[in-house]
Amino acid sequence: MEFGPALYHEFGEAWKTRDGYRLAKTISPDLPPAQLSNIWQSANSAGNWKSARDDDVKAAIKRGLSSSPARLDGISQKEIKGWVEVYFAYWQATGILAEVQQTSSWTTAYEQWKVLINALIQGYNGHEFEAWTIPCLYVAGKHLRLFAMQADENTSVNDTSAAAFQDDFDPELQKHQKLEDCARVLNRVFSLCLSDRAPLEESRKWGLYYIINLLFKTYFKLNATGLSKNVLRILTAGRGDMPDFHAFPKSQQVTFKYHEGVLCFLEENYAEAEKHLTEAWNTCHKDAMRNKELILTYLIPCHLITTHTLPTEKLLEPYPRLQKLFLPLCRCIKKGELHKFDLALQEAEDEFVKRRIYLTLERGRDIALRNLLRKVFIAGGFEPVAKEGDKPVRRTRIPVAEFAAAISLGSEEKVDNDEVECLLVTMIYKGLVKGYISRERSIVVLSKSGAFPGTGV
Amino acid sequence: MMPTWPTASPPQGVPPSNGYTATYPVPAFTPVRVRQTFGQSYSAPQPSYPTAHPYGPAQSPPPVPTNFQSSAASPPTADEQPRKKVEWPDSVRSYVQRSFFPANMDPAVSREEMEAKLKETIMRASEDNVLYSIAWENMPLPQQIIKQEREERAKALAYSAQAQPLYTNAPVAISKKRKSTDLEDVANLSITPPWRTGQGARLEDRVTFSKDKRQATEESADNTSKLNKYEKRQKRFNGGYVSTYRSPSPPPGDGPVVGTCEKLEKNYLRLTAPPKPENVRPPRVLKNTLELLKKKWKNDQNYAYICDQFKSMRQDLTVQRVRDDFTVEVYEIHARIALEKGDLGEYNQCQTQLKALYKLGLEGKANEFKAYRILYFIHTANRTDLNSVLADLTPAEKKDKAIKHALDVRSSLALGNYHRFFQLYNETPNMGAYLMDMFVGRERLAALCNICKAYKPDVPLRFVTEELYFESDLEAAQFISDNGGQDLLQEKDGTIVILTGKAGQTFESHKAKAFARVDIKGQI
Repeated sequence: MEFGPALYHEFGEAWKTRDGYRLAKTISPDLPPAQLSNIWQSANSAGNWKSARDDDVKAAIKRGLSSSPARLDGISQKEIKGWVEVYFAYWQATGILAEVQQTSSWTTAYEQWKVLINALIQGYNGHEFEAWTIPCLYVAGKHLRLFAMQADENTSVNDTSAAAFQDDFDPELQKHQKLEDCARVLNRVFSLCLSDRAPLEESRKWGLYYIINLLFKTYFKLNATGLSKNVLRILTAGRGDMPDFHAFPKSQQVTFKYHEGVLCFLEENYAEAEKHLTEAWNTCHKDAMRNKELILTYLIPCHLITTHTLPTEKLLEPYPRLQKLFLPLCRCIKKGELHKFDLALQEAEDEFVKRRIYLTLERGRDIALRNLLRKVFIAGGFEPVAKEGDKPVRRTRIPVAEFAAAISLGSEEKVDNDEVECLLVTMIYKGLVKGYISRERSIVVLSKSGAFPGTGV
Repeated sequence: MMPTWPTASPPQGVPPSNGYTATYPVPAFTPVRVRQTFGQSYSAPQPSYPTAHPYGPAQSPPPVPTNFQSSAASPPTADEQPRKKVEWPDSVRSYVQRSFFPANMDPAVSREEMEAKLKETIMRASEDNVLYSIAWENMPLPQQIIKQEREERAKALAYSAQAQPLYTNAPVAISKKRKSTDLEDVANLSITPPWRTGQGARLEDRVTFSKDKRQATEESADNTSKLNKYEKRQKRFNGGYVSTYRSPSPPPGDGPVVGTCEKLEKNYLRLTAPPKPENVRPPRVLKNTLELLKKKWKNDQNYAYICDQFKSMRQDLTVQRVRDDFTVEVYEIHARIALEKGDLGEYNQCQTQLKALYKLGLEGKANEFKAYRILYFIHTANRTDLNSVLADLTPAEKKDKAIKHALDVRSSLALGNYHRFFQLYNETPNMGAYLMDMFVGRERLAALCNICKAYKPDVPLRFVTEELYFESDLEAAQFISDNGGQDLLQEKDGTIVILTGKAGQTFESHKAKAFARVDIKGQI
C-alpha cells in the first residue's frame, strides 16, 4: 500500500478492529513490481523522493501514523515510534524488491527484509507492540524464508576467511548460508513468542505454531533434523502455559502434525509416526489434495511396517502420482514375487530415495517373503484327517527345500539352503511366521494354529 | 650459596658458559625475588652489573641496597611509569598496554613471565637509548618473545634465548648511577641494541643448526611406495597425542599464507589466528614430509606421532589453500592409517574433507572412500546421512565393486539377512573390514538372538561358527560365554551344541546394549 492517506487510514482501521491480518497486509511484499515501485516513490509525499533523506521519510511516516484514526484508539507514542521503524524498513525493502527481478540482488533484498523483521522484533520487545499484531510476524517470517531461498540460489560459493583458521575446509558450508541465517532469525521470533508472559488471551503464544511450522520447513530444507527435535523438546517443556493444541487454527495443526510425523518416520520410530500422520490425515481438509498426498506418501510406508497392510486401490484412486509410486510394489508384495519386487524397488529407487522412504519400503520385502512362504504352506495341502469330523489341518512340517525352491522361483540364481534358513529365522524372529526350525532334519515346523499371524492361516 | 656479585668491576660481557649464563642489565626496579623458571631473573639493582644466571642453577640476587621502594611483584604498568621518572614515548606506553590486553594474553605464558619480559625489554631499550628509535608497534609482545625463546631453546638445546653480552664498554660511572630513578643517563651508553646483533646472530645460528640436522634426515629417507597396505590389526590407538599450546598471533594478512618453513616435521598446534609464514611448510617441503612419514610409519608404527604429523600437514595445506591431488593423497593416507588403528574420530574428519575435495573434481580413490563412508554411516546408524549418500549415488558408482559391496552390506542388515552379511564381511574389499569390525560384534549378537528364537531344540556350535564367521569354534564359544550364554553350551554325541531352546532372553539384553549407543571415539 502506498504511503499516504490510504495507508494511514488502513492502519487506523486495522487498529480500531484489532485486526492483525489486515495490518499484516500493509507490510506484505507480495505485490507486482510496478506497485512496489509506486510504494517506493510515494514515501516522501512532502518532496522529491529521489533525494529523500531517511529522517524526512521517517518524519513523514510518523506524521501519517500519528494523525491516523489509530491515535484515537489508544496507540501510544512508543508504539508509533516502533511502527515508524517497521514502515521505514518496509519502504526500503520495496525499493529493492521492485527491481529485484532485473538485478537479481536477492541477497540485498533478504538483508533488507531482515531489517524489517528485526524492527518488528524490536517492536515487541521495546515498543510495546500488542499481541494481536502478530500476523505481521507471519507475513514477515514467511517472506524472509522465501527470500533466503532465492538468495541462496543466486549466490555462488566463495571462500570465506574463516576457512583459514580451521584445520580443514568445507565448501558445503556456504550452500545454504542465507537459509541458515533465516533459521536463526526465525528462532528469535520463536523465543519472542514463547517468552510472552501476558495472559493467554493477549499472548503472543498464539503465533507459536505458525512460527514453528516455518521453522520446520526451514530445517527440513536444511536437512537439520536435530534442530527440529530441539524445537519439539522446547515445545513440550513449555506446553503447560500454552493454549491447547486443538485451539489453534486447523491448518496449523495439520502442518504441525505432518512434520512431527515425518520426523518420527525418519528416525524409524514408526509407531509414533503413524499416530501423528494419522491425526494429520484426519484433520486435513478434504479438498487439500496436495497436502493429503504428502501425508499419504509417508503414511503408506509407515502402515506397511506397523500393520503389514497395503493401501487399497480405492484409497489411491485420486492420487495418480502415488499410484505410480506405490502400486507396482504393492502388487509384487501381495503376490509374494520376490524377484519382481526387487526389480520394482530398483526402478523407482530414485523417487523413493528423494522422499527418504526407500529404506522403509525395502522392508516390504519381508512381507513379500511372508506371503510367498504362506503360499508354499497352503500349496502343501492338508494332512490326512486323523479322525472323522475333525477339521482338516494343513501340513505343518515342511522341508526347507520347498521354501528354497519357492524363493529361487523367478530369479536366475539358486539361493543356498543356509541362506533360506537364515531368511526363515528372520521371519520367525520378527513374528511374521510362527514355528521353529530343526537344523538336523532340515525341516520347518509351523504352528498348528496361526502359522502366519494376521493372514487368517 | 649465593654467588658473589662483582661489585666494582667494570661490566664485561660475560661470555656465556655452558649456554646458560647471561649478563643481565640492571633493571630499574628491584624485585625482591628472582625467577627460577625460564625466567628473566630480576636481579637487584646493584651498584654494578650483576651476573645473573637466568636459566642456570637457581640463584637469587642478594637483597638490594635500595633507596627506593619497589613493588617486587608488580612489574611496571603504564600507570607506574612516573616511578622511573623517565619520559616514555607513547609508542612504548601503548606497547605496554597491548601486552596486558586480555586478548593478547597467552595461557602458556604466565603473567609474571610476561611482565618480567616486558620490563626487561623496555629497560634494555631505555638503557640503550633506543626508546624512541625502536618501532614499538612492530615489536613482538613479550608473550610472543617468550614463546619464541622457548621454541628456540627447545630446538637448539644450546643457547638460552635471551643470552647476550650486553655491556662491554660501559663506564663504571654509569653503573653506579643505575637506579630506577635515573635512566636519563642512558645517553652515555653507546652500544648497539643487544638484541639487534647478539640475539639475531644467535637465532640464525640456531636455525641453520637444526636445518642441517633436518637435511641429514631428509637424505636418508628414501621414497617408499604408497601406504596402501592391508595390515593385520596391531596395537590399538590409545589416544597418545595431545595438542600443545597455541602459536603466537602475528598481525593478520590477506589471502592464503605462503609458507617458507623448511623443516620436514612439525608438531600440531591448533590455530587461533593466521599462522606465520615461517611456520608453514610449502607444498614441496610437504611432499618430502609425506615420504618421510610413510617410511616412519612402516618402521615405527607409532600412531600418536604419525597422527600428530599428519594433522600438521593437513593444517599447512589448508592455510595455504592447497587443494590438489597431493592434498587428496595426504588425506587418503591419513584416513587409511586412522582406519587401521580404529581411530574413528580422525577418520571421520578426513572422510568429510575427502568428500569435499572429490566434489571439487579431484582425482583420488573416490569410490573406495565412498564405500567407507557408507560403512561408516551404517556403523553410526546415521540414517539421515545414509539417505543422503544413497541419494547422491550415480548409476556408475553403484556398479563399483567397493560401493556395491557396501550397499549389499546395508541391505542385508536392513533385512536381517545375517547369512549374507557375514559372507560379505569375509570378502570386504580394501580396508573396509576395519570399519566393519566396529559393528560386527553387535550384528553377531543380533544373529545369535535370531538363531536362538528360531532353532529348536539346539544347533551345533559348528553351525554358529560358520554362519557368523568366527575364526574357530573356540572363539564362538568364547563369544557366547562373554554374553551370558555359557550355560547353554553342552556336549552331545561328541560335539558341542548350543541349547537354543533354553536361551530365552539371555542374549537379548546384551544385544540391546550393543545397539543402544554408538560411540565414535574422538571428535565429530
